[in-house]
Amino acid sequence: MLALLGAMALVLVAGAPWVLPAAAGGTNLESPRDVEVYIVDDSFILKWNRGSESLSNVTFSVDYQIPEMDDWTELPGCQYITSTQCDFSSLQLNVYDELKLRIRAEKGNNTSPWYEVDSFIPFHKAQIGPPEVHLEAEDKAIIINISPPGTKDGVMWAMDSSSFIYNLVIWKNSSPAEERTETVYPTDKIYKLSPETTYCLKVKARLRMQRKVGLYSPVYCINTTVENKLPPPENIQIDGNNQNYILKWDYKYENLTFQAQWLHAYLKKIPGKHADKWKQIPDCENVKTTQCVFPQSVFSRGIYFIRVQASNGNSTSLWSEEKKFDTEIQTIILPPVINLKPVNDSLRVYIGAPKESENKSVDEDYPLIYEIIFWENTSNIQNKIVEKKTDFTFRNLKPLTVYCVRARALIHYEKWNKSSGFSDTVCEKTKPGNTSKTLLIIAVICAVLLSIPVVVYVVKVVLRCVKYVFFPSSKPPSAVDECFSEHLLKNLLLSTSAEQIERCFIIENTNAIAAVEETNDVDEDYKKYNSQTSQDSGNYSNEEDNSGSGISEELLLQETL
Amino acid sequence: MTNRCILQMALLLCFCTVALSRNYNLLRSQLRSSNSACQNLLRQLNGTYCREDRMNFEVPEEIEQPQQLQKEDAVLVIYEMLRQTLGIFRRNFASTGWNETIVERLRAEVHLQMDRLETNVDEITEKENFTWENTPVPHVRKYYARIVQYLKAKKYSRCAWTTVQAEILRNFSFLTGLLDYLQN
Repeated sequence: MLALLGAMALVLVAGAPWVLPAAAGGTNLESPRDVEVYIVDDSFILKWNRGSESLSNVTFSVDYQIPEMDDWTELPGCQYITSTQCDFSSLQLNVYDELKLRIRAEKGNNTSPWYEVDSFIPFHKAQIGPPEVHLEAEDKAIIINISPPGTKDGVMWAMDSSSFIYNLVIWKNSSPAEERTETVYPTDKIYKLSPETTYCLKVKARLRMQRKVGLYSPVYCINTTVENKLPPPENIQIDGNNQNYILKWDYKYENLTFQAQWLHAYLKKIPGKHADKWKQIPDCENVKTTQCVFPQSVFSRGIYFIRVQASNGNSTSLWSEEKKFDTEIQTIILPPVINLKPVNDSLRVYIGAPKESENKSVDEDYPLIYEIIFWENTSNIQNKIVEKKTDFTFRNLKPLTVYCVRARALIHYEKWNKSSGFSDTVCEKTKPGNTSKTLLIIAVICAVLLSIPVVVYVVKVVLRCVKYVFFPSSKPPSAVDECFSEHLLKNLLLSTSAEQIERCFIIENTNAIAAVEETNDVDEDYKKYNSQTSQDSGNYSNEEDNSGSGISEELLLQETL
Repeated sequence: MTNRCILQMALLLCFCTVALSRNYNLLRSQLRSSNSACQNLLRQLNGTYCREDRMNFEVPEEIEQPQQLQKEDAVLVIYEMLRQTLGIFRRNFASTGWNETIVERLRAEVHLQMDRLETNVDEITEKENFTWENTPVPHVRKYYARIVQYLKAKKYSRCAWTTVQAEILRNFSFLTGLLDYLQN
């Protein structure tokens, strides 16, 4: 029994190593290593390395999964392959959806564990491939036409084809070290070249927002042609004036006719040939002068390119450089007016609006900044500063020196390089510095010194008034004091007049007095009247205005009696 | 002397603030004016409404309700919307019988708005820690990808274009909302 159990255990233990590898799917197969996804435009390539043992007859299979799927699916073109890479570009994927991949090695019935690649979004991982470039040579320019990276029906950049910015590097074949780098549109021209010279160039595409920089195209070389007899017009200017635009250009020769054409600016950002999209500007066909005038209604609001060509009947010149024309800023900016004011050792500058303004007042619509050139009259050194303010000061200047200023206005709106002409030069002499400072200090000190006594006096007066009004003295003057104490209580309320009344008593016979006493109880008024006439008749008849006081004195007398 | 200096500094600060805000307001008012022009042009494009071609393109929330967005993201969303609209109106609309001049003018106006925003967009994308994937732009692109796929699937038919025109017209009013949101 024990032996049987022991034998069973032995078998189990011995058998285990055989069982487990079978469940795992292979004894020695390692998963692929260094698995990487390479995406360039619409090309999807998965690369890997074999496991540590390079065994023959090992194949690899790849599965993929996208969000709509519940489970892994075999990746077409990547099943049982013997090489260490596979191309799965044919799979119609949504490049903005997350993609999962897994790979394993196989040999016969054995398989390695799956190696899962971190999930990724193809678009984010994709590299911009080289663009395709078509060239056409002129005498002093090369016309370039760039096709965006990827294929025409490609999916990867389908939504970005018009967002590509192209960096171009160009050099003369004879001197490769002297390179010129330019940012170009899909349809553009490289100017300022020499005729009959071999130029080579390469282009790469960039996506600004996604911060992707593409691979350079192969190098293309081309020869510029012999110099054309008729040069193209130069220095195209467009200015607005009332209801018209004036288009001007320069030309070396005379007795030629010119024509001008325009193109919507956005077309240059779109790949493809737009040669047929240029349109004639009305009133600018076969003009004999180096300018033409056309109504503003020709161009609705927008950005355009304008080009001019000369013709002498037999032959035509090549097209001029294409001038960008933004309808919103085509006005003349007039030069500003400057005023200088010397202040001690500084010079205060006032920048004023120009005297006349054109129909569209640029200043109201767009902020202007000013380029100011400033120098000492006797020196050649000019300082240039840019100011937003129209009122500022140059400080710490030499006294009694003449300084000159002139300025021009610039449109402060990013890439609109529109500026006015320079204003007239204005010069002013600075004031004597230190002397005036000293004088000023002395004057201030004197003023302060003088004002101290004045101030003290004024304060004193004010205090006195305040004291008088709000804190009167409780002790009355001495003259009042004498009379006040004796007569105040008696006379204050009752006496209405200060006039002294002589009190006279006329002594009559006793009968009159007795009669007065008898009638005492009967009638008070009568009694008063009698006593008054008996006693104060003299007073009564002489001074009528004292009657009131006389009566009141009597009343008092009677009360005391 | 010092007081005058301080006063001048204060004035400079005020002026700068005024100047800068005036500049941003200027941009916004330019864009709004161009936006209205676009809406007017779009309305001039007539079409027959086909009921069976109705489609819900699922406008992203960032476009409909920009309040949750950061100002920089709003600028990027506006730019992307304009760019995609320009792309759509470059496709084949021969079936519609629309006036080519009107469509051209519409493209010109949209392009003008893009041009005005370009410097701001460059500034934002050139910042050091800027990652495009963290902005709402991929989300907005997917929305426009649905519109383009719809047009392709319907083979640029007149009915499909009418549906798309209505959708874009609605987007322009969302654009106005986004522009308003940009105001500080």
